[in-house]
Amino acid sequence: MSPSPPLARPSVDVRGLVHCFDAPAGPITVLDQVELTVAHGEHVAVVGRSGSGKSTLLSLLGGLERPQDGSVDVLGRDLGAATRDELAQFRADELGFVFQHFGLLDTLTARENLELAGTLAGQGRGERRDRADRLLDAVGIAHRRDHAPPALSGGERQRVGIARALMNEPRLVLADEPTGNLDDDSAQDIAELLASMPRQTGATVVTVTHDRTLAARADRIVELRAGAIVETAPHRGPRR
Amino acid sequence: MNLHDSAVLAARNAVRRPGRVVLTVLAVALATTLLTALVTIARTAETRVLDQVAEGGPVSGISVIPAEPTADQADQDLTSGGEFRPIDDGTVDAIRALDPVAEVLPVVSTPVFVVRAERVDGSRVDGFRERMVGVDTSRPARIPVTPLAGRLPAPGSTVDVAVTESFLKRLGLERTDADTVLGTELEVAAGRIRSAEDGPGTRSGDTSIQGRWRRLTIVGVVAQGAGSGQLVVSVDLARQNWEWTTSGIDAGDELGASPSPYAGLFVVARGIDNVGPARDAITGVGYASSAPENLIASVDNYLGVVEIVLAAVGLIALVVAAIGIANAMLAAIRERRREIGVLKALGARDRDILRIFVLEAAVLGLAGGVLGTLLGNLAARVVGAVVNGYLADQALPGVALVFPLEVVIGGIVGPTLVAAIGGAIPAWKASRISPREAVNTA
Repeated sequence: MSPSPPLARPSVDVRGLVHCFDAPAGPITVLDQVELTVAHGEHVAVVGRSGSGKSTLLSLLGGLERPQDGSVDVLGRDLGAATRDELAQFRADELGFVFQHFGLLDTLTARENLELAGTLAGQGRGERRDRADRLLDAVGIAHRRDHAPPALSGGERQRVGIARALMNEPRLVLADEPTGNLDDDSAQDIAELLASMPRQTGATVVTVTHDRTLAARADRIVELRAGAIVETAPHRGPRR
Repeated sequence: MNLHDSAVLAARNAVRRPGRVVLTVLAVALATTLLTALVTIARTAETRVLDQVAEGGPVSGISVIPAEPTADQADQDLTSGGEFRPIDDGTVDAIRALDPVAEVLPVVSTPVFVVRAERVDGSRVDGFRERMVGVDTSRPARIPVTPLAGRLPAPGSTVDVAVTESFLKRLGLERTDADTVLGTELEVAAGRIRSAEDGPGTRSGDTSIQGRWRRLTIVGVVAQGAGSGQLVVSVDLARQNWEWTTSGIDAGDELGASPSPYAGLFVVARGIDNVGPARDAITGVGYASSAPENLIASVDNYLGVVEIVLAAVGLIALVVAAIGIANAMLAAIRERRREIGVLKALGARDRDILRIFVLEAAVLGLAGGVLGTLLGNLAARVVGAVVNGYLADQALPGVALVFPLEVVIGGIVGPTLVAAIGGAIPAWKASRISPREAVNTA
């Protein structure tokens, strides 16, 4: 898989981001004046306690919801100005998602789950099948490609999830607590896979996690507390 | 995401909850069964009733009588002719050449003596006068003669005869005894009047009656509206007898033979819409006609209403089933919010989600429709068998089940469409689910 050409602008450029949720007792500010820049090919881990706004930040970076104030510029696109269809197309073409709950469709086999992502990205039948097989092989799960997710272990499911995230050769991979439902050994393997992703694919990776071990493998750690970035660990620069 | 991929995904999703799917499909299938069976029974009843009204002939049949038309006869169902006017081969050719006319079948009626007839117990019935009706039995579907037992006389046969129910009564038999007379024989004579000097006869005085005898075998019992008479034979046999009778010195008058070679014509118009134009054209040729067109139209309208009412009952059931599908879909969507969010996170557009769920509902409708159509066919057959059993007990002709192609197509396409419509609102709700659901941990 050849890395995409570098961008002139950073992969992620968030400015003055404010996001609130309505609650019976009044609006709750989840993100407050967040500023974040992620360079192309960088692996950033976003850490913080539950309710600190990590997942909301990830949703906004992935165009899963719109910013209420401030700007979210991802891969050179202002997500706040895009239509629903444009955002869907952007996700299909440019982004890869890895979920804590794996997000696999139980009615499809591992290979079909990958092919579904290829379908949504507009890939032809042959192309998506070849790519699915290659990726399943790359994450070490080729022998389980015809099994449905319920027949796979947690670690195997997350490998399928990671392989699926790479089906469209994304330039940005967003991982939401990717080791949250895994045992230690599996978490270790998945952390390894994610950490190697920028090097192997050239993709930028933003991982939201509680897992300090996983976070330690990132190029940079950003900590969110009560909706604001309070600490950024020393920048080591993207691994090459 | 293209239609094929959406359909595959929808089909996979449709079977993920087997219990719910079975119940939903069953509801659709039962509704479709009801709809299909009711419409089939209504159609069969319609065909049967129209057949009865047309007395076994085609609904576009017209009777032409040997009389001139009166001013308004062409607008009436019943025969009301004017002055006598014989029907001969020239008339047949003239009417056959008319545009709205598809076919012309001559009917011959001639007086005969039934010289010997035996009851089943062997006792004999005294001879009596009767009329013999000759029809073209090579076109059984085109003539108003319906076999109740046995068969029609073979075309051109001079030995086969079919008798009517009234004839059975003369033998002291009921309709239920029809089978018992099949194969028994009748001796029938056509008479002609001649002068006494010409030879011996059955009558003294200036004239005598000379008979031509035939031994006929009863091959069937029929209900017939082709002409007046209780003996139905081939048109050739009747014509031979008519020619014999009318060759007498009185031209058959004393024995009651009509001077018209044909007692009437049975004309088949090119469809029921052409009955009126055909009757007008026959009037133009100079003959009175009758057809049950107004009665058929009234009966047809009435049966149409019955069919609509029965179909409405089935449709209501189908709508209830569609509500069941909508309910099942809403439950499925509630359970699959995260999955829908994941699909959107992967790039599915609102319309992709809409299409997947509409197709999913349509798949349930299709399955229910196919199953229901099969069950409806089966139910109609069972009802048909029960009805035919009853009719057979009453010595009435059975009912042939009418299962039109449009009922099959409607029984499959209808539930599929209704289900898709029923699933549209849940599908729309699904399409509006936020992709944010993909990262919700709840």
